[in-house]
Amino acid sequence: MSAEDAVLGLTDVQALEERYLMRTYKRAPVDFVRGEGAYLWDAGGKRYLDFLTGISVCSLGHCHPAVVEAVREQAGRLMHVSNLFYTEPMARLAQRLSESSLGGRVFFANSGTEANECAIKIARKHAHGRGIAEPEIVSFEGDFHGRSYGALSATPNLARNPAFGPMLPGFRSVPRGDGAALREAVGERTAAVLIEPIQGEAGVFPIPDDALLAARQACDEVGALLILDEIQTGMGRTGSLWAFQQTPVRPDVLTSAKALGGGMPVGACVTGPAAADVLEPGDHGSTFAGGPIGTAAALAVFEAIDDPTLLRRVRELGRDLSDGLAALDGVREVRGRGLMVGVGLEEGVEAAAVGADLLERGLVVNVPAPDTLRLLPPLTVELPQVREAVGLIGDSLRSLRS
Amino acid sequence: MRRKEESPGLHPLERTTAERLGQIVEAAERAAEAVIDDAEAEARRYLDDARARADRLVAERVQEAGELTDSLIARAEEIRRQAEALVDALEEARSRLAGEAEGEEPASPPRTSRSHLSAVTPVARPRLVADDSEREEPLAASAAPNGTPAAARLLATQMAISGSSRQEIELRLRNGFEIEDTAAILDAILGPED
Repeated sequence: MSAEDAVLGLTDVQALEERYLMRTYKRAPVDFVRGEGAYLWDAGGKRYLDFLTGISVCSLGHCHPAVVEAVREQAGRLMHVSNLFYTEPMARLAQRLSESSLGGRVFFANSGTEANECAIKIARKHAHGRGIAEPEIVSFEGDFHGRSYGALSATPNLARNPAFGPMLPGFRSVPRGDGAALREAVGERTAAVLIEPIQGEAGVFPIPDDALLAARQACDEVGALLILDEIQTGMGRTGSLWAFQQTPVRPDVLTSAKALGGGMPVGACVTGPAAADVLEPGDHGSTFAGGPIGTAAALAVFEAIDDPTLLRRVRELGRDLSDGLAALDGVREVRGRGLMVGVGLEEGVEAAAVGADLLERGLVVNVPAPDTLRLLPPLTVELPQVREAVGLIGDSLRSLRS
Repeated sequence: MRRKEESPGLHPLERTTAERLGQIVEAAERAAEAVIDDAEAEARRYLDDARARADRLVAERVQEAGELTDSLIARAEEIRRQAEALVDALEEARSRLAGEAEGEEPASPPRTSRSHLSAVTPVARPRLVADDSEREEPLAASAAPNGTPAAARLLATQMAISGSSRQEIELRLRNGFEIEDTAAILDAILGPED
């Protein structure tokens, strides 16, 4: 539906939402109807430069022709048969995921949360196999692994909400990036360390190398699994296909989603050889996961992203973006890697106000914390668009600080 | 009469017509032969040209295939070298961790044909790395992990495999692990710099 074809205006859509949708989201007052590349258009025809890409889902930009064509072609041929049968796109995607990362096996899911649920089940079963009756999973404060009960229990900030208690037993956390505390927390009961190599939802906080090394060593010492949640960092976001490839550790399990499907809901739990055969027939499953359309889309995404030239551009443009932001008045610090960028604002600058102002100016960003902007532009973004975004953020900061 | 003698029984007009017809047929046959000769010559030229073009194309394809094969062999060799370096790094990390777990001194890294890896300067305390490798500032200090050389090598290997340039890896090693002489690691993984 083009902007011109939009039947309802924003007010009408908001009225429908108010009446019929659960109030779980606080949405920005925009009704997007079309996307192409780095741009979005609202129902009124206004164009926006998108530096959020659906929270790093549309990493190739909106409606990438290869992804659209893969979906269109597959949807016209075979949409769904369930996991009771073989389908080629799923098998081929599993091969690409495995061979590009840890070399083991893949379980497909419909989301990152579900991919983490699979990883948690692998960790617990693996631990039971080592004779651990009450296995434990250790995470960092600030980690975000999802909102279903297993993943939620591994998400310290959300797990503390008493409204949804009790959480699953067997989860604990240590301060973010504290390698010594993590080593202390890992013991004989530890099934796994489950962490994000760069915390995304918390506001883009890279975990230091020494903490990652501590996690790897602690896991090796007790026989636990190191699980990296690469749902946001993976698929080229940081300038390598997987973020762990720019760290001194190699996990036993990684989880992927978001950009993997290029806009289709696809998640995956990928193991190395050590954990490849933990799950057996009947241990886990899904009706929709690994379906032909999603996996065909993901194969098209892989084809485009697993490209050294594109990944090098991500690193280069990430440096341009970070350098430009760091030079702005009102910016306290810039964090991240590649095109996953967190902007810490100086005290007194409300990130929510900046985010709203930028939306007015036609730039879409995210506000994950009261003092932080999060930028996740498409990996196909051009340098002039990067400069335009930096300019708009600079304008907004000047305007709000004056 | 002479004509009677040459063509007895034929009317003079008929004789003349027959002769003319014979001449016409003869001329037509000569013309046809010429056309056939021309066509055959043209066909021969066409065949010669086609054969020459085919030979040229085959030669070009053979050359391209040869170049592609050389490129593939070079890439395979590069991947093999990177994989061996990765295996070495992992082996060393495993040995070191096994030694630590037993409360002993870290085991010596396995010696392989790529023993020059051991020339890497061990660094006990890596500088803590912030988010951006080019703008890294030390974060809160914590205990330095052991096995740093192996970790540095694994980092470099993984970065190389994922497509990072020599300069990017070098910068990361300097900033993340405070390794001044990165050449040994880089040469082992990427080959000597030209």
